[in-house]
Amino acid sequence: MFLDTAYRSGALDSLNRVGALARHNITIRRRDPGQMISYVVMPMVLMLVLKPLYVRAVDAGATQVATGLMVMFSVFAISMAGNAILAERTWKTWDRLRATSAPAAELLIGKTTPIFVVMVIQQSILLTYGCLVIGLPVPREPWFVLLSIMIWAFTLLSIGAVLATIVRSHGELSVISDVGALTLSSLGGALVPLSIMPTWAQYAAHLSPGYWALSMMQAAIRGDEVHMLLPAAVLLTIGAVAGTIAVRRLTRGWGRSRLL
Amino acid sequence: MLEAIDLVKRYGQVRALNGFSLRVAAGEIVGLVGHNGAGKTTFVEIVSNLTRPDSGTVTIGGKSGTATRGLVGIAPQHISLYPSITVAEHLRLYGKLAGLRGKSLRSAIDDLAVMLRLTEIMDRSAAVLSGGQQRRTQAATALIHRPPVLLLDEPTAGADLETRQATLDVVKQRAGEGAAVVYTTHYLPELTELHATIAVARHGRVIARGSSEELMDGLPGEVRLTFEENEEISVSTTQPTATLIDLLSRADRPVAAVDVRHPSLDDLYRSLAVNDVS
Repeated sequence: MFLDTAYRSGALDSLNRVGALARHNITIRRRDPGQMISYVVMPMVLMLVLKPLYVRAVDAGATQVATGLMVMFSVFAISMAGNAILAERTWKTWDRLRATSAPAAELLIGKTTPIFVVMVIQQSILLTYGCLVIGLPVPREPWFVLLSIMIWAFTLLSIGAVLATIVRSHGELSVISDVGALTLSSLGGALVPLSIMPTWAQYAAHLSPGYWALSMMQAAIRGDEVHMLLPAAVLLTIGAVAGTIAVRRLTRGWGRSRLL
Repeated sequence: MLEAIDLVKRYGQVRALNGFSLRVAAGEIVGLVGHNGAGKTTFVEIVSNLTRPDSGTVTIGGKSGTATRGLVGIAPQHISLYPSITVAEHLRLYGKLAGLRGKSLRSAIDDLAVMLRLTEIMDRSAAVLSGGQQRRTQAATALIHRPPVLLLDEPTAGADLETRQATLDVVKQRAGEGAAVVYTTHYLPELTELHATIAVARHGRVIARGSSEELMDGLPGEVRLTFEENEEISVSTTQPTATLIDLLSRADRPVAAVDVRHPSLDDLYRSLAVNDVS
């Protein structure tokens, strides 16, 4: 006979569904860890190689090379978020999930939480490596750093999600996320310190989320909560706007694309 | 059990559904047939809450909208499986999303694995499954929570004989337990085997509804005799068996082959198209 599988809205039922989705998405991530590995190993190698140059060229060179490359490669991780969501479209599994008992909000939380955690782990590993190997000062307030990492991961996840709902193919996503990541992070001072960039670039940097992320991270490492506030507010706003658009698109389905 | 009344759905200038109405009783299997673009998949998407109709209503056991969540099991037309996830993991995921836990989940998975002949491939990821195995896995995700309404959108398209038979067997069993089943297909013999009633969709609405005997009654089939000299005669007839007997009794030469073609879904579409003024 029929099982009683009508939708139940209780908190425990909801938690169970989100848990099942999160575990499922962790399994998918675990079986295809290539991107994550490259976005952790590449900046580690670059930090090591570029450190002498930065230390001689600028004040606080170790901080610049560690936080700069961490921000740069965390921006690259946008494609990780984008691909994870876009893959649901390629596999035609998102609509299949939407037809289950789980409401759209639960599907989104279950889908994005593992990606968020992966991004937090990536940034934490890079900053820890920065402290242990590169000479990044050990943060006076580790909680500020953790908070900054979480805010930045939220912003990146939202941008990646909205990109995944706009692009028409994995190729388009790669182009936008790679070119965008390089442009935004270098414009934001992740590669070259802002102080030695041309004047126009110093103004234009304010348009880059990378600039605000770098400002927030460096303030957090100094334990300077006052200078964390504005960058955190800007990043949270960008994340909220992008996230809202992504949620609206994902809850309604994608429609049809000529390329997917 | 399932009642769709006067559904209308437009995509830009295209009216995918144009007054689509269909009632399916508990325990009934309805074969929803129609050419591509007739509105079958849009209907399935609306009943699954994947898209909203511009007008019209869908109720399942008296409930409508999001209250019907969990009451429908859907196997979409296209394969929608995670390549790196195993068959067992797929079933666990969809079972858990439907609220199954522990013993009831394990027992539901074990039952379906046997019925859909998945036991040997439970630990294989979807990417390495054959087309038929993927079809059976997809059907299993629709059936895992024993929903009162099943929407199976061409569940045997391109499938092998084993998949077709396993799917038909489990659909019959679930209907026997009281599920209302909507089964879209282009294969009339499947509907005959399922003892399904037929709903014919055309231009976004159901234009004919009844048993296959009722709908096929009066449609011409064809009887063809091939003589030993390779000469053929072919007769279009509404009574193939009687016509065959008549032709054989009047044949004055040795007959090499006999071919009787009964009316097909295409014949039905053609006949209904002539009568459908829209």
